[in-house]
Amino acid sequence: MGLKHRGILRIAYVRLGLNDIRLTQSLNFYRDRFGMLESMRDSERAYLRCWHETFQYNLVLEQTAENQLIEIGFHVRDEEDLDHLTNKIEVAGIQVEQSAANEPLNGMGRSISFTIPGGQRLRLFADMAQSGYVTGFESPDWVTPRELRGTAAPMFLNHVGLTSADPGATIDFLSDVLGFGLSEKIVSEDGKRLSGLMFRMCRDVGGQELAIFPGEDGHLHHIAFTKEDPNDILVIGQYLREDGINIDSYGPTKQSYGNTFSLHFFDNFGIRLELCCGGRNIDAHPESEPVIWDESELSKALSYYDADVNPGFLDHSL
Amino acid sequence: MAISRFSYANLRVMDLPKAVKHYTETVGLRLVESDDQRAYFQADECQDHHCLIVSLSDRAGIDHVGFKVNDPSDLVEAAEAAAAHGLAVRDVPLGEIAGQGPGVMITLPSEHNMLLFYHADKIGYAGGMHNPTPGVSKNKIGAKVTHLDHTLLSCENAQPTVDFLTKVFDFSLTEKVVDPGGNLIAAFLTCTNTMHDLALGPGPNGTFHHMAFGMHSRGEVLEGVDILKEDEVPTLEYGVSRHGIAGVTTIYFHDPSGNRNEFYNGAYQAAGKPDLVPPIVWDVENFPRGAFYYENQIPETFFDEVT
Repeated sequence: MGLKHRGILRIAYVRLGLNDIRLTQSLNFYRDRFGMLESMRDSERAYLRCWHETFQYNLVLEQTAENQLIEIGFHVRDEEDLDHLTNKIEVAGIQVEQSAANEPLNGMGRSISFTIPGGQRLRLFADMAQSGYVTGFESPDWVTPRELRGTAAPMFLNHVGLTSADPGATIDFLSDVLGFGLSEKIVSEDGKRLSGLMFRMCRDVGGQELAIFPGEDGHLHHIAFTKEDPNDILVIGQYLREDGINIDSYGPTKQSYGNTFSLHFFDNFGIRLELCCGGRNIDAHPESEPVIWDESELSKALSYYDADVNPGFLDHSL
Repeated sequence: MAISRFSYANLRVMDLPKAVKHYTETVGLRLVESDDQRAYFQADECQDHHCLIVSLSDRAGIDHVGFKVNDPSDLVEAAEAAAAHGLAVRDVPLGEIAGQGPGVMITLPSEHNMLLFYHADKIGYAGGMHNPTPGVSKNKIGAKVTHLDHTLLSCENAQPTVDFLTKVFDFSLTEKVVDPGGNLIAAFLTCTNTMHDLALGPGPNGTFHHMAFGMHSRGEVLEGVDILKEDEVPTLEYGVSRHGIAGVTTIYFHDPSGNRNEFYNGAYQAAGKPDLVPPIVWDVENFPRGAFYYENQIPETFFDEVT
């Protein structure tokens, strides 16, 4: 039966492996200065969530020998979706690994994981434990919790940027197999797709859950989080600077590509983070049309307010 | 597949030229096409043909709300499901409404008409679809609305409509207001990942409470208030406020026929599947804080004035 929102419902989490003994440095950044809530800790990992989120984690940190993007997690509707997508991914010639509930991450139901053509690993699941809203469920005050004020205090995980040696192949896989829509793309003079913004969710700060950029396979370009509006982002930029956090030389800017107001900066492992608001208004419909950018307009696309392309901006950060 | 967008509201107005002036020069919508009976409008950052239709009538109010499905076969399925639920259903042929394909009109238990359709003609974003300049042109007239965000419809008992929309049409309930007996007073429903596409509040069946236009920033909501004041548009007595429900910045005002509009900025996000996340529950005692966070009381006119 149709009339059901099937497949990927929401972007859920990013899982990072960091060379960080007892996660001291990363928790100091993500919990204490960036302003995420620590939902859970086990012997190997810390699980953090954004304050407006009920699900248990948007960021999983674990100690590894080398810094790495381990995987990105997406929430699907139900077990039927997991089976259906397993079949589609295998038909596309990609191996799917099945994992039991609470393996490898706590608080998650049965899951499947696989490597996309760009080399990054995705995990899909239908169930995740909920910490509940930090505000409670009864007549809440939807206000940034007092203990997070003065930090970035992101509301939600918004999107993840990845680099891919063949962006076109990655975009095709995400569209054809996983059902992502394309809200915007950048094309080269000879018509090759250099970049695409891929979405499943339709929301105020929308148009992308995965952003595909040209570069080396398997890497992370950036992780973006949602804020309410540009004023918040400008003020948080002050907190970040005061805290000695490395802000990208673009500074606060309007990103024409994606239609967001954004600020990019780096955690203490060099991972590029973004706070964004705005976004492209588009619906998950086969007739939705993407915005198209020419490569010659890259400077305008990446930062409307800055005169030049920031040369390091397209480099991966992990 | 599924209902994928709250596409438009079709309002009734008593004076078409005044409505066109209001929705273009004050609200800031693009006038897409019009004749002597109807006018079609779209916001700057939407690519479909319209987000608002106003029809000339002898009274204000809502004719119907339009929702888009993302598979043509959904229309047949939705019509059958609605009929099986005992709801009135009629086919709306191609050409009855400009800028979109054929659809099915369903009368909800609340006595509101909901039109489902698959195809919308494309007019593109106001900045264009190719190397678009972001933001709003300095030559733009009116407030900086980006999109139609949601509508609130009024009815005597929201529960049967909520049951139908969640169980049959896969809407999610994000927040609700209940009386001490547990009866539903207001419900906030989404078919996407926003906080609400369609809300239901107390009032006579089939009436219209408001439609809300989204904006990218709280600053733009404030600029919008300045435009309303300059244009001498009647606004809610509180002026700009914040909803405790959803936690968003807001102002209410009326079009020349008395239909209520809202400017709105917020970033609240929903999970996308019914019953995945329990709804936030507001009790009556806290409802004033939920409706108007700063003022903490609800003006008497707020629920009485519907069209």
